[in-house]
Amino acid sequence: MVRILVAEPSYLVRKGLSTVLNELKTITKIEEISGQDELNDALKSLMPNLVLINTTISSLPEADQVLKKYGSESTIISIFNSPLPDDGNETTLSVFDTKPVLLTKLRNQVKKVQKSVIQQENSEELSDREKDVLQKIALGKINKEIASELFISTHTVISHRKNITRKLGIKTVSGLTVYAILNQLIKLEDIS
Amino acid sequence: MLITADMKMADLIHLDFQLLAVIQRIGIPLGFREKTIDEVCIENGVNTDFFLQLSNSFHDKEYFPKEKFLRFNPEWLVNFLRRTHQCYMEHKIPEIEEQIIQLENDLKGTKQSYELIKNFFTEYIRELGVHIELEEKKVFPYVMALSESIANKEISSDLNESFGDYNIDKYLEDHNDIEEKLFDLKNILIKYLPPPTDNCKYNSLLFEIFKLEKDLKDHSKLEEKVLIPRVRMMESELNNL
Repeated sequence: MVRILVAEPSYLVRKGLSTVLNELKTITKIEEISGQDELNDALKSLMPNLVLINTTISSLPEADQVLKKYGSESTIISIFNSPLPDDGNETTLSVFDTKPVLLTKLRNQVKKVQKSVIQQENSEELSDREKDVLQKIALGKINKEIASELFISTHTVISHRKNITRKLGIKTVSGLTVYAILNQLIKLEDIS
Repeated sequence: MLITADMKMADLIHLDFQLLAVIQRIGIPLGFREKTIDEVCIENGVNTDFFLQLSNSFHDKEYFPKEKFLRFNPEWLVNFLRRTHQCYMEHKIPEIEEQIIQLENDLKGTKQSYELIKNFFTEYIRELGVHIELEEKKVFPYVMALSESIANKEISSDLNESFGDYNIDKYLEDHNDIEEKLFDLKNILIKYLPPPTDNCKYNSLLFEIFKLEKDLKDHSKLEEKVLIPRVRMMESELNNL
């Protein structure tokens, strides 16, 4: 399933984009937001593969920061309120684009993303390394401890944690602990 | 569909029965006969426009008149949020808790998973309780004191004595995300727990969790998009007195 976030202040444009996206007949989950203040939460909870964002939002410094932090793995498409030359650039679209132009751009982008989504979904099983990390999280260890025990950097631990959460759909430490016990990664007696 | 003051109150419930929650939390009892929304609101001392804006935004996820909400009396909102808390603690949470306890018999073969889920939820209730208590004991009285001071155009002794240099940023510091755990619980039940023998009971537990999660989302939205900005407005208004 391709997850798409539409960040666009105009209600009409937002609805229009969602309609066009639905016409692509790909299994998608589309979420819409109208401003920068909702961007943070939407990126964190939806973890979109594709972000369509109006430049009036993405040009705000706060939005830029949030996008860098939580949207680094998403493909970003910018929506312009002005006409754009037809130069084959598929990561920008204009509210003046005609239907064929819009459909072509969006279809190509969604297809591209879809390929990588399918690959990802086929590897939903945790890797051995992720299991190691999960085991330590469940035992209540913090990133720094996990890093030194597994001889990896804290940065790597954080990226493992992100992947674990994405694969399992579990965000909190206590939730991960329950998972670890149910799957015999640790024993109930191991945690006090 | 836009909900308007001349609609019959009973029709509103037929249109969207989830709005029963709004009606109850705003303090309106049932038994409407043929009365319109406007008539029922006036009878119960509820501002009709406030009721309409709340109903519309609960009915339609995309209808959220933030600017309008910010102009309403903050005490109305606090009362609404208070009743919502009460509904969680007195009804919704105990109901889910009861349903989890009922699972024990169905999960006999896997006693451990039952214990895990029960403990997980108990921990969640504790967190939710702390969260609600902070709002009830500190934030809401603070909002009321601010609102009173503004109405009287002077900083009340209550605001001075009870809250000193408290401000809404202090609240935001310990305001944590209470929906994450519910999200996890859902996924654990759907994806990872060995299935119990009685699916019907299990489904209704999941159904309740989904409903509570949605309800909490709407609740936090009101707090984050309306209450907190409103408090900030009042804080700066008082600073300029």
